Amino acid sequence: MKRGAILAVAAAIYLLAAWMVAPGFYDGFGPPQAYNWTCPPPQAGANIKPKSGHLEIKVINGKSDANSAFTDDGQIVIGFLPGAFDTTGRTTITVDITPLATCPQPPGLKFVTNVYQITASAPLVTPANLEMLYSNLEPQPDDVYRADDPEGAWHSIGHASTAPPFTIITTTTKLGYFAAGYKQSSPASGAVVVGGGQVLPIIVAILIVVVVLAGLPLAMMRRRRSSGDKLDGDEP
Amino acid sequence: MVVQEPGLAPAALLLGGAALAAIAVGWRSELLGLGRSRFGLRLLGGLALGAVLLLPAAARSGAMPMLPAGLAFAAIAVSIGEEIAFRGVLYAVLEEVGGAPLAILGSTLLWTLAHVLSHPPAFLGAVAAAGLLLALWRWACKDLVGPIIGHVIADLAL
Repeated sequence: MKRGAILAVAAAIYLLAAWMVAPGFYDGFGPPQAYNWTCPPPQAGANIKPKSGHLEIKVINGKSDANSAFTDDGQIVIGFLPGAFDTTGRTTITVDITPLATCPQPPGLKFVTNVYQITASAPLVTPANLEMLYSNLEPQPDDVYRADDPEGAWHSIGHASTAPPFTIITTTTKLGYFAAGYKQSSPASGAVVVGGGQVLPIIVAILIVVVVLAGLPLAMMRRRRSSGDKLDGDEP
Repeated sequence: MVVQEPGLAPAALLLGGAALAAIAVGWRSELLGLGRSRFGLRLLGGLALGAVLLLPAAARSGAMPMLPAGLAFAAIAVSIGEEIAFRGVLYAVLEEVGGAPLAILGSTLLWTLAHVLSHPPAFLGAVAAAGLLLALWRWACKDLVGPIIGHVIADLAL
């Protein structure tokens, strides 16, 4: 009985500690840092607004240098090869990344990241490598999408076959607006589709019901047998 | 190698889980809390622990985080490996050296420290509290099956 009370206190301490951070206990299979949302989903908990980024690329011998622009929170990185820009008449190229203040959801698409605008002071002439982080609070995106106008048409620019966990990688030949997501007509691929809606409370409720329904008869049988209070009675 | 080939991350995690579990080689299963007696109760205990570990997230929102399929297998392997290493072998060693209090507090402390690099500081309180709960279960029930099942359920969901 005393051990049960100690376990109950430990469970209460855990519930309190886990309540203070979203989503609660997790073992490192989520992204290395919480995603900073423009429009946080309800389960996100405390949220920090996404950061912007700025880069100045030197023009050396008429060619733009290799460099990468990224936001201060690292949620989007764009890498440029040497000579990626048309440098006519320029000594430096500036690149700016700005998270859009709104969260457009075009018809038929579901974005699972913020929308970022990437601009440069010169036209891009060779493809740039684009990496976007996404959160474990949303399904895995299938592709990165690009648009010239966030309220206009969005086009898939694909994704690389390998990427670190919770990262989607692709290349782009044009700058503009970028977001990662999937077509709403089909569920996101590559994810363990056990979620959405009210699935998590239902799973927890089922666990509790199973424990109670199966546990009561087991506890009664155990009490009748009065064979000690440990599961491994044969242990030293 | 994992940095250069990020697609290898799930395989590396699987290997890590297996390596952690391999620590138990040579140990009697009963000493690790892996006896087979009253397996039904152990199983139910694991489901109950899983429910407790998931309760804050379930209460906060109905939406469930998504784990890429490759990482789901890695999550299972790492959960089992961590339990065998921390609440199994480490717990047994510390219990032999200094009794149950040292085993509970020591395994919780080392489990928390093991997560310092992989977790933001804000999460370490929840990690420590989960470790304490699982270690106390191990002590109270002399059982590791429950923590393994609860840990796997929680890792798959979160």
